[in-house]
Amino acid sequence: MQVEKEVKTVLKKEKVSSEKKEKNSEREKIIVLKGVKKVYRMGTERICAVDDVSFEIYKGEFCCLLGTSGSGKSTLLNLMAGIEKVSSGQIIMKGKNIHHMNENRLAKFRQKYLGFVFQSYNLLNSMTALENVEFPLVFKRVPNKKRRRMALEMLKKVGLEDRIKHKPKEMSGGQQQRVGIARAFVANPEIVFADEPTGNLDSKTSKEVMELIQGMARVNKQTIVMVTHDNKLAEYADRVIRVFDGKIISIEENDHSQKKEESDVNDEIAQVNKETSNEETSNDINNNDINNKDTNKEEFTEEVINLKKAEG
Amino acid sequence: MKFNDLVKMGLRNLFRRKARTALTVIGMVIGTISIVIMFSIGYGMRDSFIEQVMENGSMTVITVSTWGYTIDEDGNYIDTGEQKLDSDLVESIKKIDHVKSVGGMLQKNLQLTCGKYNSGMMVYAMDSSTFESFGFPGLTQGEYPTADHKDIIVFGSQARNSEFYNWGSSRGSNSKTIDWDRDTISFTFSDYTVNENKKAFTQVIKNYAVMEESENYMFNYYAWMDLDYFKELYTKYANTLKLEDRKKAIASLNKFDQIQVNVDNMENVTAVQDAIKELGYSSSSDMQYIEPMLQTSKMLQVVLGAIGGVAMVVSAINIANTMIMSIYERTKEIGIMKVLGCMLKDIRKLFLFEAALIGLLGGAIGIMLSYLLSWLINKYGAPLFESLLNTSYMYGETTGGFSRIYFWMPFVAMGFAMVVGIVSGYLPANRATKISAIEAMRTEG
Ligand SMILES: Nc1ncnc2c1ncn2[C@@H]1O[C@H](COP(=O)(O)OP(=O)(O)O)[C@@H](O)[C@H]1O
Ligand SMILES: [Mg+2]
Repeated sequence: MQVEKEVKTVLKKEKVSSEKKEKNSEREKIIVLKGVKKVYRMGTERICAVDDVSFEIYKGEFCCLLGTSGSGKSTLLNLMAGIEKVSSGQIIMKGKNIHHMNENRLAKFRQKYLGFVFQSYNLLNSMTALENVEFPLVFKRVPNKKRRRMALEMLKKVGLEDRIKHKPKEMSGGQQQRVGIARAFVANPEIVFADEPTGNLDSKTSKEVMELIQGMARVNKQTIVMVTHDNKLAEYADRVIRVFDGKIISIEENDHSQKKEESDVNDEIAQVNKETSNEETSNDINNNDINNKDTNKEEFTEEVINLKKAEG
Repeated sequence: MKFNDLVKMGLRNLFRRKARTALTVIGMVIGTISIVIMFSIGYGMRDSFIEQVMENGSMTVITVSTWGYTIDEDGNYIDTGEQKLDSDLVESIKKIDHVKSVGGMLQKNLQLTCGKYNSGMMVYAMDSSTFESFGFPGLTQGEYPTADHKDIIVFGSQARNSEFYNWGSSRGSNSKTIDWDRDTISFTFSDYTVNENKKAFTQVIKNYAVMEESENYMFNYYAWMDLDYFKELYTKYANTLKLEDRKKAIASLNKFDQIQVNVDNMENVTAVQDAIKELGYSSSSDMQYIEPMLQTSKMLQVVLGAIGGVAMVVSAINIANTMIMSIYERTKEIGIMKVLGCMLKDIRKLFLFEAALIGLLGGAIGIMLSYLLSWLINKYGAPLFESLLNTSYMYGETTGGFSRIYFWMPFVAMGFAMVVGIVSGYLPANRATKISAIEAMRTEG
């Protein structure tokens, strides 16, 4: 009974977010996915890693793709970043269909607009921290002195000014990831993709790293798309897109700034809790999705509870 | 990516694997040395050979003689026949491709006189405007005849050294060394018996020139004159003869004793000779005799070059192997570069640069060592080469040595080494551009 109530709460919350969606439509859509599918062929077997996914990411938001391992989050992120090709569907980034770009234009596009943070840092072991941070600027043909200055400044921002001459192997995981973050942000990209950026870090360092990413993005109003399996990390995001089995099962807004709206939502939730009437019919597509999948519903519900507990 | 970043990165990558880079460079060094040394030996042999032949005349000259003889394909003598050499023939030979110049020549004996002493000398007469194109040597004294001053006699470098003898001396023949600057020397012709009724022709030598020492015997022992001047003198001579002899003498001026043909290049001598044959004339050249031998030396060059080439191919494979290894090692790095926005062409350039640098480095070191080796061969290799090739006659007195590195060889070798580097780096470099970024980032390393 308790569980049912919670589900209802979520459903109500969804309704609220669907209202917010209308508000979002005024905001600039920086990434638009339309019916995106990614199928891997393993011999005769076909794995649908991303299954007919459509959503939008708005300029300046911190968006989180949340889901269990193997749910297709990384694949989705790689598709958005143009690292992998879609099987069908469209991905439009900054008004351009990235899968119509050739390798050259894509490379230029990445230089100009995209930054990346990886779970395993992906620093070049032969290079010092400073050189690693400089690396994207080398491809952008930024003059030597200028890029050195930019990289130094970036390393200062992540608090590693005393480690600039160190090679990745001589640094801790957290330090390496901070170098990674400095590298991702050094060219001041509009969009930063982060795939499990804290996956290899302990919880304290994770927190530091997340705050760093969040802080960096806020300063320049950058768009962050982060992938994680960790509900706690999802709290840093403005919006959480839940992925399961290659599909989107929900999109939620986390409201950090406007506490008033949050309380509005809570009010509504309270109301829903009082009325026990069935509201399913009036809900949007996402709800139907959930109801169509019983197994999903169970698992999903559990996660919602966890989320609630964390919030409370 | 900017070029200097590319260079920096390429160097860094090569330095990261010092041992492997060094070994690959050594492979290239060996390849370069073998190809340079093999060529230098091939050329050294050809050159010393040609030098030896050059002493007997110029390699690009064909001679058509009055008494032409025919030879078969193997160079065996078949027949001798008289050929009519006139100015028409000169004109038709001029029209043959690759012919640089044609000179109809008269050839007579001069009788030199200084007081009671006499000496003889062969004189050639040819249009003085063609002298230059036949590669006449420089002069140590005097000037060549010009259109305005044709009355000059040009002596070969050794021509004046012959002794003068007094044949009529009662104490037997005694000789005298002539002082050409002081003594009065005159000449006449002696082709016909002297006509007692007329004053004998004689011409005092006033204007003369002397040639520098030359490799060509034609310019060492004979005298040369302009054709018109010669004809003028010879006509004067003819006029002192008996009627019968005079007719013969005048007629002998209307046809040449031989025609010399200068060809633009050694390679074309045979072709020009064939063309002359089609005109119905037999001709001879030094080239004709050494052609088979040159062919042999060319084949030797090819064989030696091939040996060097094999070493080069091995080092090319070595570079390709190194580059492929390097790509395997750097898969992850390449993936990261791609994701960070590195253009495919920059990735390709980076690998090509590394490969070319290995080639260039190996080439440069190889060339330096080649000079050293070439010097050692020339200094200590004589017994070996002579016993090995059993052709000591070829090396009789040459100064060039067995191994000769031409000035162009280092450049060609260097360019070749670099091209080998780039070519063998090309496939690996392309392969690097095709690496999938996600696959690459999944790999460890
Ligand atoms: N290159 C690939 N070949 C085949 N299957 C793949 C490949 N990449 C991912 N997959 C499959 O796609 C699904 C989603 O993978 P992924 O996006 O990495 O999940 P997540 O990042 O959410 O853990 C998984 O079932 C995985 O096995
Ligand atoms: Mg993943």
